[in-house]
Amino acid sequence: MKLGGYDVAKVKCKGYEIRDDLYYDHDRNLWVERIASNSVRVGFDPLGVEVSGTLAQLVMHPNLGTLCRGDAVGTLEAEKFVGPLETPLGGRVVAFNEAVISDPRRIYADCFQAWLFELAGVQSEELATLVHPTDVTKDFEERVETYKRAGVLSW
Amino acid sequence: MTTGTAMTLRSRNRRSSGQESPEWVRISAASAIALGFRSGRFGRDFDFGGINLLLNYEDGCRSDCGYCGLARTRPGDYEDKSFIRVEWPLVRTDDLVDRMAAVEDRLTRLCISMVTSPYAFEDSLEITSRINAKVRTPLSILVAPPTLNRRRLERFYDAGVDMIGIGLDAVTERLFRSIRTDVPAGGAGLSWKKYWNVVDDAREIFGPWKVNCHTLVGLGESDQDLVDLFVRLVDRQIFPYLFCFNPEPDSRMGLVPKSTITRWRRIQLVKHLVEKEGFRGDDFRFSEEGSLTGVRAVHADLVVETANQGLAFMTNGCPGENGEPGCTRPYGSYRPTEQFRDFPFEPTTSDLVNIRAELEVDRLFF
Repeated sequence: MKLGGYDVAKVKCKGYEIRDDLYYDHDRNLWVERIASNSVRVGFDPLGVEVSGTLAQLVMHPNLGTLCRGDAVGTLEAEKFVGPLETPLGGRVVAFNEAVISDPRRIYADCFQAWLFELAGVQSEELATLVHPTDVTKDFEERVETYKRAGVLSW
Repeated sequence: MTTGTAMTLRSRNRRSSGQESPEWVRISAASAIALGFRSGRFGRDFDFGGINLLLNYEDGCRSDCGYCGLARTRPGDYEDKSFIRVEWPLVRTDDLVDRMAAVEDRLTRLCISMVTSPYAFEDSLEITSRINAKVRTPLSILVAPPTLNRRRLERFYDAGVDMIGIGLDAVTERLFRSIRTDVPAGGAGLSWKKYWNVVDDAREIFGPWKVNCHTLVGLGESDQDLVDLFVRLVDRQIFPYLFCFNPEPDSRMGLVPKSTITRWRRIQLVKHLVEKEGFRGDDFRFSEEGSLTGVRAVHADLVVETANQGLAFMTNGCPGENGEPGCTRPYGSYRPTEQFRDFPFEPTTSDLVNIRAELEVDRLFF
């Protein structure tokens, strides 16, 4: 897969393809890519896409200001589910991916291409609290098993 | 008693694409999640055990009802059409039955929805037989009256069907005719008289509180029309089940707004009062146009207490084996971002605060 002109490798894990060069938010099923020293890009990881069900709509909140980790950036609506889309890190939202927000089905084509928003002013210490790239596979396996036990994943 | 006017089965001419009933059925999105056909979750945490099946035919439903997602003249391929606004995944019947058997202890009610097709009766019977061979959860059939007669209803009963639902939807003959009979692609045998013949026969065959009529709020009826029908049905020990009209995009009624939340909540409350508390038409006051303007003040305490209990605002559906809510259709007539029109669980304290505000209960008495 080519991303930003570079080849990006994906690894297979529990039937999903994941990237092992990114940070992940264990609780929110989001990937986080560092794109500059204090800036990151955020998107749904394959499990985030799967457990949401059929995505219907993404609505981003206007005038967000400076956010803390866990603050709502917007709202996610699926066929039978609605819930907040929370930021995995504190910072300022400096960009939304309008193409994905206007057509959330793009996420199904490749959730690693379909980023959702960019954050600036991110603290390195906080980034270090996310799942580190070296632990991605183990963490992802654990999350899949947890969702299977909860009956959220298809059999 | 209905005569032998049911849509005839033309099995000799039947062509199958390989993905038609009885070998294949559609199931609701919520059922698909509950049975692991699909990944997903519900917006709020609650037990879900009401599995809804829908017969599937390449040439679809022969009816052309103005509000329905499956209507013949609604644009688009039948396979891509939504029903009550959501997608219904297609699954293999035997796989479905095996999955239901595997989680039988979590299931509360099963329902086969027929469509108007010459094959619907025999296929419903076949699917009933496959289900009853492996699953003990009580089974309902939401019938397509043009395909039935009394003998066929008796065969459903003999096959172990527990309850019969009749999707009357439009609650007056005039409305029924304009939306379901006199329609662009023809009514495919849908007539007010035929529907009531099936109601009468089903009531005789299946017994008290084993038959229900679906009533759709927001098709153009008045509140008084609804109350009159509730009383008529309850007097005959037939359940009236409420559904909230939710416009299907591109259907003939796709631009008709759904009822206001206040009207909907009041109809829910009124129906509950008729069904559970024995209220009659003269316990309510209506305007000249038939809009509900009040409930007798002498009943104020009972009405407020009923509203505060919250049961009136739960989904109407066939019960589970022990009388608990069985078919709860989460998010069936509203989007997850909207208020619950009917609750698939007992409303919480904070839900009840919202419901009371929506009801405008202090303006309800005369």
